[in-house]
Amino acid sequence: MEERLYDLIFICRPDTPEADIDKIISTLEHAASEKETKIEKTEKWGRKRMAYRVHKLREGYYVYMSLRTTHGELVKELERRLKVADPVIKYLTVRLDEELKRQAKLKAHRDRRAARRPRKTGTTGTAPGGSEQAVASS
Amino acid sequence: MAEETQRPPQSSGQGPGGGPGGPRPGGGPGGRSGPGGKRGKRSYVRRKKVCRFCVDKVDLIDYKKADVLGQFIQERGKILPRRMTGTCARHQRWLSVAIKRAQNIALLPFGAEI
Repeated sequence: MEERLYDLIFICRPDTPEADIDKIISTLEHAASEKETKIEKTEKWGRKRMAYRVHKLREGYYVYMSLRTTHGELVKELERRLKVADPVIKYLTVRLDEELKRQAKLKAHRDRRAARRPRKTGTTGTAPGGSEQAVASS
Repeated sequence: MAEETQRPPQSSGQGPGGGPGGPRPGGGPGGRSGPGGKRGKRSYVRRKKVCRFCVDKVDLIDYKKADVLGQFIQERGKILPRRMTGTCARHQRWLSVAIKRAQNIALLPFGAEI
């Protein structure tokens, strides 16, 4: 199976001690390493105000992880762990590789066009530019 | 050439809405407003809205950037339509997906604040 890129974000209760959050992250990392998954990034966004109340809480401690895996079932496992972890109030997993692929395709397309364009605009661009200058001077 | 030098004073004298045409009478030859003395009645300029993502050449709308996405929702959390923001169809499609993801992790509201 091909490699897939996932984003995983979870929100903990704001009063969770830092040690507990680290523990959750390490359990996730451990589960991931068992499935030969590379964790590309782990970011603690810290306490943020949430857009709406969750479990009667207005703030939450956001943690962001980016992982690259060939085992799709890992996501299920990670979400199960997040579900049973008490401090976690919300989580979201998003698969991103297809969008990145699309982005790369569009970017390649634009780069090709940009590489071709200079000659085109060089020849056609001089004519209107010249007339504009004439207009401005007269 | 003589004709053309004559014409501009006429048009500037007649044209009611000829304000923008006035300052550049000399540039007229071959220009757009040459033959017509009056063009249209009162032409007001409607600024064309352009897609902000196209201008910035965005290929991927990040659902994590809540500050950017927040500009495309209403006070009460609704997604703004294309005709209000000028976003192109393709980017609006991506944008709506990004906004919905952001809503799911409480970066953006679903509705009004409770």
